[in-house]
Amino acid sequence: MISRALFLLLAVGMLFGCATQKMSGDQLARVAKDWSLSIRASQIIPVYPLTEDLQPGDVFLVQTPVEEQVKVYLAKGFLPLENLVTRLSPGGYARFYRGWPYVADGDKAPPRPWQFPKEDSPDSDFSRAPLAAFPTYNFSVSRSGGLNVAIPVQSVPVGLNLLDSASANGTITLKDAFTYALPARTMYDAIHQWCRDNAYYLSQYEPTESTADGKQAANKFYLRVINRVYLVKAVDVSLFSNRGFGLGGSAGVPQPVQLLNIANATEAAKQFAAVNDILSNASSPAKDAVGAGGEGASQPLAVGGTVKLAMATSRSVSLVETFRRPLVIGYLASDYAIEARGKCAAPISTFSMLEGHGASAGKTIEYLGCDENCARIRPWIKQGTNQQKLEAWLEMKGGAIAIADFLTGDYAGLRQHVVTQLIEAPQ
Amino acid sequence: MALQPPSPQSNVPRNDVSNVVDAMLLENQVKWVGIVYEATVGGVDRFTVTPYIVDPT
Repeated sequence: MISRALFLLLAVGMLFGCATQKMSGDQLARVAKDWSLSIRASQIIPVYPLTEDLQPGDVFLVQTPVEEQVKVYLAKGFLPLENLVTRLSPGGYARFYRGWPYVADGDKAPPRPWQFPKEDSPDSDFSRAPLAAFPTYNFSVSRSGGLNVAIPVQSVPVGLNLLDSASANGTITLKDAFTYALPARTMYDAIHQWCRDNAYYLSQYEPTESTADGKQAANKFYLRVINRVYLVKAVDVSLFSNRGFGLGGSAGVPQPVQLLNIANATEAAKQFAAVNDILSNASSPAKDAVGAGGEGASQPLAVGGTVKLAMATSRSVSLVETFRRPLVIGYLASDYAIEARGKCAAPISTFSMLEGHGASAGKTIEYLGCDENCARIRPWIKQGTNQQKLEAWLEMKGGAIAIADFLTGDYAGLRQHVVTQLIEAPQ
Repeated sequence: MALQPPSPQSNVPRNDVSNVVDAMLLENQVKWVGIVYEATVGGVDRFTVTPYIVDPT
């Protein structure tokens, strides 16, 4: 009986492998989008594919104009992280996570103490990392039409094959989720220092205007600075067949999942062990490379994880997929436009911008009228390089507030200083 | 360091809307400006002027 079950599982596994290789480009794009839309619903920007190598302080050069980014984001569901420019290593974890055990700066800054707690072992221990929780996502899968929603974890196709069903509904639960961050203000200081130190490098990315003949389009570059990441260690997938048995079923031949019926507890335990053994062996291309650290029934998948069968009935199957180390599934970031001479502009929340909350930063302020000094400053700004002088003065002495806020907001004292120091003094 | 993006401003009288918009557009990142009627106070129409960096539509 067991050997028949093993044969059927291996057979459907191989069938799936062939089908996967034939997935069209459209289907693969759909995979990325559907997964990303689910993650986006949790108010974070999805990472696709999942990666371990993304952390606060990573700086990406983003070439796409903001308007185009929004289109790409809406079309694909995620933003490609194009060029990793640098990895900032600002201090501040120890202060931000004051009193948090084993959080320090320097070489011991997160995620290293959780990622590699022992120097001689690749296994992680995120038990002391800040926790996060995600809602359960619902999805549907269909063998005939490709995956209607596809998840970058192997449990879904494996479960679909175990069900031997043409279509199924399911839920996915992101378990063992963690998050860590550095405050935006710390990143702001770090990236502006980096911009000042690398102004020559950044000047090659200063904005360009479109040419009159239309041969060159306007271009603008941004630095995207990650300040928070979300990681997941384990994923629970439950699939519920919404049809009768699909492929390969014939009268009198028991289906694989039927063999897992727990009515016969002793037999079911053997079947679970046998199925998990198949899953671990079938999905462990790097089995030998891992060495003796892994358990016999828990060999790694390509991303360093395991898939285990948790429960199965004739119409449902539950699997638990565990990654070897937590993978980043999403992030929060700020975008800094690169201005002329390699100067970095003020930050804009990437998520707010992409989700269409495009209003400039800051609360609404009340217009207080244009007083006498405002009336003197307005025409003065239009002359020569006075606007640049005022911007430099506001950066140094005015808290870097915008000129529009400065002119008609609650800044009468600053306006008086500007009139005294910039307009009247030089004469 | 660069200047912060301009904030939306409320209670802007009709005759000064153009100047407020002009000042907001001094910031290169501002590509759109929304002007929304608030109320008429003392015979003067008042508006909220909101700068946008991406297309708000």
